[in-house]
Amino acid sequence: MRPLGFAGDVAVRARGLAKRYDGIVALDGVDFDVRTGQCFGFLGPNGAGKTTTMKMIYGLAAVQDGTLEVLGRDISRERRAVKARLGVVPQEDNLDRELTVRENLLVQAGYFGIGSEEAERRVAELLEFSLLAGRSDAMVRQLSGGMRRRLLIARALVNEPELVVLDEPTTGLDPQARQTLWHTLDRLRDQGVTLLLTTHYMEEAARLCDRLVILDLGRIVAEGSPDELIARYGQPHLEAVFLHLTGHELDR
Amino acid sequence: MTGALSLPSLPAALRVWRRNLRVFSKIWRGALLPLFFDPLFYLVAMGFGLGTYIAHINGVPYREFIAPGLCASAVMWAASFEMAWNAFFKMEETRLYDSILATPIEVEDLVTGELLWAGTRAVIYGTTFLIVISAFGLVESGWAAAMPPFLLLGGLCFATIGLAYTSLIPKMDYFTFYFTLFITPMFLFGGIFFPYDKLPEWAQVVAWFTPLYHLVLVCRELATGPDAAAVAGNAAWLAVLTALLFSVPVVALRRRLVA
Ligand SMILES: Nc1ncnc2c1ncn2[C@@H]1O[C@H](COP(=O)(O)OP(=O)(O)OP(=O)(O)O)[C@@H](O)[C@H]1O
Ligand SMILES: [Mg+2]
Repeated sequence: MRPLGFAGDVAVRARGLAKRYDGIVALDGVDFDVRTGQCFGFLGPNGAGKTTTMKMIYGLAAVQDGTLEVLGRDISRERRAVKARLGVVPQEDNLDRELTVRENLLVQAGYFGIGSEEAERRVAELLEFSLLAGRSDAMVRQLSGGMRRRLLIARALVNEPELVVLDEPTTGLDPQARQTLWHTLDRLRDQGVTLLLTTHYMEEAARLCDRLVILDLGRIVAEGSPDELIARYGQPHLEAVFLHLTGHELDR
Repeated sequence: MTGALSLPSLPAALRVWRRNLRVFSKIWRGALLPLFFDPLFYLVAMGFGLGTYIAHINGVPYREFIAPGLCASAVMWAASFEMAWNAFFKMEETRLYDSILATPIEVEDLVTGELLWAGTRAVIYGTTFLIVISAFGLVESGWAAAMPPFLLLGGLCFATIGLAYTSLIPKMDYFTFYFTLFITPMFLFGGIFFPYDKLPEWAQVVAWFTPLYHLVLVCRELATGPDAAAVAGNAAWLAVLTALLFSVPVVALRRRLVA
């Protein structure tokens, strides 16, 4: 392993990241480093600031305080260049409802300026991979919730990203689809793609993440590998660690 | 705010434009008809109905007087619908703008692409109507063939005003104000149905401040044998307003979508 701090080794570097939405503190000074090729998890209760962090990374929320470097560049200054190398699976489905499944992928390739021949090739591949080849001419509204999520994930891979941001990618997926996604994420990681993942499923986080942070009320309350965290807090599993650290609501 | 003044990238804007063209190519039949019947009905009701009683205006048969103005209004309605409900839907309901902004496309490119598209759609409607009135024999001058670029300019102007409004309102309900207090009065008082040259000066001054008035004059000039200076002057008015307003939707959408 190369020493930490080598520029090409850190995919995302956040220092003192903070954000308020008219009075509400969404993020309250967050520091973390995501190393290239890792699967890095963000856990935390509803409203902890996970989506806010993700949106800052993919340029849909402005950094208010602190600094955020993504793929070696300051996201506030070089948003266009950074976004060209990212894949984004947002928490809420924002597929193009006026287009078919296949067109959603083709048009996405268009947004990245990918030529039509290359786009056709990648789209055919992604349709296979997302098990949507049979539904390629369906409109988005004709898909089930899980199929939409699969399309959303396929869409995030059209530009062969170096870093994929996945905000609750498995919410609403059936066990098979979830397994398939896990295998896909394994494969992407084997190819050296960095993954950022939020999830409310602790067994999923334990299964996938090399490292993770637990956020609560906009602050990081713990950071480490799943095993480290379990050992550090003397809990039987990650879910118990999570409840132990974020159980303030239950105490009241 | 960073990049508040950055110029749009034309290739990126055209990617947005192409997405819209793709959607339109699937629905154009159903979309074209209603907006196209609208000016046609006005032409028949006012031109052929009322026109029986009002034979001429300033020496021009009444039908021929109003027909080019209806090309201008077709442009106004098409661009306004596109940048009102359609844009609001993409911004707040389907969150399409969010998904586009997560690609290398930036707000200024998105705005440019949307405006170019609304302008394109306006040209399609305006030109279709121009062909219809030509077929009715209501166009006197061959200069009318030069109308489409001016229809595009008018379309871009109405699109920019429309998207500026849409990007600033919190709810779709606010479009009622836009259409009943701005678009419809312009349609009625924009000089399509009666000329302004014999009205009191204050009325002319008010009309001068509305974009439709200028587009109507451009269209009428071209359809009846143009006074080049009048065409250039009115077109310049539209171009200047468009350029002045362009930054409004850019800044407002940046605040709204990537703040
Ligand atoms: N656009 C916004 N306007 C106002 N407040 C916002 C906005 N987005 C997020 N917030 C607030 O910021 C805080 C963090 O929200 P965020 O979406 O980051 O949470 P999260 O960890 O992703 O939660 P969940 O698990 O429910 O998805 C919340 O209090 C939320 O209400
Ligand atoms: Mg969230």
